[in-house]
Amino acid sequence: MTKLLCIKSLAVAGLLASVAVPASAADTITAASWGGTYQEAETKAFFDPTAKELGITIKQDTTNGLDDVRLQVTGNAVKWDITELGADECARGSKEGLFEKLDYSVIDKSGINPKLVHDDWVGISYTSVVLIYRTDVFGDKGPKTWADFWDVEKFPGRRALSGSQATETLSVAALAKGIPIDKVYPVDIDGALQSVDKVKGHIDAWWTSGAQAMQLVKDGEVDMASIWNGRAGTLRKEGAPVSFSFDQGVLTADCMVIPKGSKNKDLAMKALAKFVSPDLQANLPLYVDNGPANEKAFETGKIPPERIKDINSAPDNVKKQVLQDPEFWRDTLVEATEKFNNLIQQ
Amino acid sequence: MQRFSVRNCVTTNCRGSVQALPQLRPAMNDPESREMLLSIAPTALPIGISGIEKRFGGVSVLRDLSLDVAAGEFLTLLGPSGSGKTTLLMILAGFVRANAGSIKVGGEEIIAMPPHRRNIGMVFQNYALFPHMNVFHNIAFPLKQRRVSTAETAERVEKALDLVQLKGLGERRVDQLSGGQRQRVALARAIVFEPRIVLMDEPLSALDKSLREHMQIELRNLHRRLGMTTVYVTHDQREAITMSDRIAVMNAGCIEQIDRPEVLYAAPKTRFVAGFIGDSNFIPVESRNGSVWYEDRKIRMTSAVPAAGCHLMVVRPEKLRLVADAQPAGSVNVIPATVGDVIYQGDSFACYATLRDGRQVTLRDYCRSDVLARLPGPGEPVNLGIDAEDVVLVAAD
Amino acid sequence: MSMQSAILPHAGARTLNADALHADARRETFGLLALLSPGLLLVFAVIIVPIGWLFWLSLFDETGSLSASNYARFFQQPSYIKTFLTTFKVAFAVTGACVVLGYPLAYMLSQLPRRAASICLILVILPFWTSVLVRTYAWLVILQRKGLINSWLIDLGVISQPLPLANNFAGVIIGMTHIMLPFLVLPLYASMKTIDIDCLRAGMNLGASPAATFRQIFFPLSLPGLASGVVIVFVLCLGFFVTPALMGGGKVIMWAMRIEQTTSLYSNWGAGAALGVVLLAVTLALLGLFQWLLGARATGVWSSR
Repeated sequence: MTKLLCIKSLAVAGLLASVAVPASAADTITAASWGGTYQEAETKAFFDPTAKELGITIKQDTTNGLDDVRLQVTGNAVKWDITELGADECARGSKEGLFEKLDYSVIDKSGINPKLVHDDWVGISYTSVVLIYRTDVFGDKGPKTWADFWDVEKFPGRRALSGSQATETLSVAALAKGIPIDKVYPVDIDGALQSVDKVKGHIDAWWTSGAQAMQLVKDGEVDMASIWNGRAGTLRKEGAPVSFSFDQGVLTADCMVIPKGSKNKDLAMKALAKFVSPDLQANLPLYVDNGPANEKAFETGKIPPERIKDINSAPDNVKKQVLQDPEFWRDTLVEATEKFNNLIQQ
Repeated sequence: MQRFSVRNCVTTNCRGSVQALPQLRPAMNDPESREMLLSIAPTALPIGISGIEKRFGGVSVLRDLSLDVAAGEFLTLLGPSGSGKTTLLMILAGFVRANAGSIKVGGEEIIAMPPHRRNIGMVFQNYALFPHMNVFHNIAFPLKQRRVSTAETAERVEKALDLVQLKGLGERRVDQLSGGQRQRVALARAIVFEPRIVLMDEPLSALDKSLREHMQIELRNLHRRLGMTTVYVTHDQREAITMSDRIAVMNAGCIEQIDRPEVLYAAPKTRFVAGFIGDSNFIPVESRNGSVWYEDRKIRMTSAVPAAGCHLMVVRPEKLRLVADAQPAGSVNVIPATVGDVIYQGDSFACYATLRDGRQVTLRDYCRSDVLARLPGPGEPVNLGIDAEDVVLVAAD
Repeated sequence: MSMQSAILPHAGARTLNADALHADARRETFGLLALLSPGLLLVFAVIIVPIGWLFWLSLFDETGSLSASNYARFFQQPSYIKTFLTTFKVAFAVTGACVVLGYPLAYMLSQLPRRAASICLILVILPFWTSVLVRTYAWLVILQRKGLINSWLIDLGVISQPLPLANNFAGVIIGMTHIMLPFLVLPLYASMKTIDIDCLRAGMNLGASPAATFRQIFFPLSLPGLASGVVIVFVLCLGFFVTPALMGGGKVIMWAMRIEQTTSLYSNWGAGAALGVVLLAVTLALLGLFQWLLGARATGVWSSR
């Protein structure tokens, strides 16, 4: 009997020891992003070099967005030390107090648009909404501006806009009314909705995912569409007869945060500082079409000059585009989206 | 038609559940039933079946089959499963298409007519009542198809229900009926529209024994009252004998013999018929020099001596009896044997004996005191007597 | 009786062993309950608790306080009523299309010889082995403007302009009908197989033409199978997500899509939960109505089997 007890306690001790070893090593952090090719690019651009430089391990996970963070923080089960979100989600999460304060003595914010630098979140990359059209339908005389897109007589053809991203479509609708790019924000929501109302009878599809937008254009189901620049770039690479530019594009930012209650907050801060540093930021456009948030990345010389002109956040391209204001949408998103949904449904 | 007294049969069968079922009254001296008889009286027509051929795949199921059924006759197709009797019935009803042949009902050719125009009533083995209709609507169904007025339908259904003694059960759901009641509904449905002929496909096989025997009598009586030409299929020889005017014994797609039940029993023409109807002993005999011989004994017989060669003598167990003399006297044939076993069965006994050639035979007799007094024990030598007029010979095949 | 009471004079033992038998009956009841308990527990854990939790969640707004705001939204935002109507419109249309296509198919299967029927049945079930997503994309390839059907029809000169078959209501109906068809055909086929062929023969024998036999006998007897198929398809349609999302071109928004949208828009499980509760309640009410309308007839046939 005593012998058995002895063996048991030994086994328990062994178990405890094996659990204790990794727990004591605080050199591992977990980062979450959107998965797919984008996260693969981030791995090569940010995560691997940071892990190597700091001598830590960066474990990865994927996120569905703010809801996941809220669930972890309010449920006191924070798994992630760093996670990526859309900028308007960061603005909302910040209002709800879901994130740790960032220490800008550790993180160098210079080169990042001040609109994307906040107490508890910081910009990491950009996506653009651009106007794409099929050259086999329009040649090179396709719609160049959103006003053209709205002009169904001058540019007859089938059209698609985003149905899931109300913020982007409303920004685009404001541009279509002829509002100059620096006057779009704050968006006149009712005016933008009126603008959507004018064109909605001619919209053949309201896309709900990037893949769908790409498929609609690729298969010729529509002749012109709003589309994310990454998808547009893929289409061009695949040889589809399409044309797009950053003129009147809508720049939307992604950001990174440290969820409140992160167990490796200090280490996460150091890692985040690396992610937004010009050196690592310059890696990102080598792998995907999402531009770096830190404009100093373009001064590192890492990005070939012929690549720079295709990157949405290159200084020359930024000038042509509207930057979505995350804090504006933080306060108006729900109301605007409900009104938008109501408008576009049959 | 007085072979079996109806009353007799009913009383012998009257046990248990049967008592609950009222007996049919004889129709002829009852004015009310005669009126019913007039309102539901299928016009009895003769059926002429000739040259029916049916093959399934390469297998011949019916071979050049011909058969005449007289108007008003109750004819039974009797045979083992696979003999083709059900196929013939299906061809008559129009559910199976024959490869060749002719079926005439009252002189009209119906072989190529679709089933719903044939005007033939049929009772199915599992009744095939419509589960989504109540009793009334089941019986009214054929009238509805014939666009009979509502009032007349109600009247005729009522009469049919009365005829099968289900008066007042019209609103019952089919699943609330007992087996016997379903049987009656199926019967009422098959005759309510006054079909030219009525077909029945083993309609009693799903009933228990006592109910089955009761229904046999009832069906028989109904047939007598209504006089419809009926073709009845069964594999139960006792049922066939009880009910039929004539029986057609079928085997392997052919009719082996067709005759009145008592003739089939007393004078089977083939070994198959003898074996299928009733119990039989088969004793090998030989015909030579104008006489029939069993071993060294000459068989006395009243029927004609067949052609030379080997034959089988068919002897029913009750036609054998124990005789004292080893030497035949008068018109009795005597065959020596050894008793194997004697089984006492109350009213009768069965004696299993072995002939000198080792063949087993069965003898059955009633337990009269004179017989019982001389009952042999196992191992005892006995003499089996057969009257000359009971000797029936069939080919030895 | 008098003898018995003489032998057993006390009142408590008036009837022989009554208490012991009563106790035994109670033991048996508890025993049966104990045998049932794993099943009951499972039902409680995977059905009652989640639905109760869903209902509970739907009563809280995003600040976490008790409120009816999640339900009030239906009346404040007309788009929810639209989505609701769209959902039922799609469910009815798909169910109708499934009945129109599935009934003849099931009938054909039930009449085929056994071997041919089992081969055809495999063909019916085959689509189950591919994902709904893949099948929906396949339909997109077939139905879109430059898809198979439109290019064939244009090449053959039947039409000059492509037909709008995808990214609209028609596309949703086509795609969903394809996915739902087996759910209708399988129960219907099973019920048709149980119809006694002698009943049909009896119908014809009694003077009903083949068409009349079908109408008066076969069809009523196949109704229970049709009813269960229709209920399965209808209920599955109400909760459908993938196909309308891909084939609807963003214009056909169904309830499940709305639950997803609303949950993420309001950052609040309660918002989506309320939609779920409403759908559940309306579905149950409809099923009740269905049972009431068709039940008497259908159960009449069921109970006789």
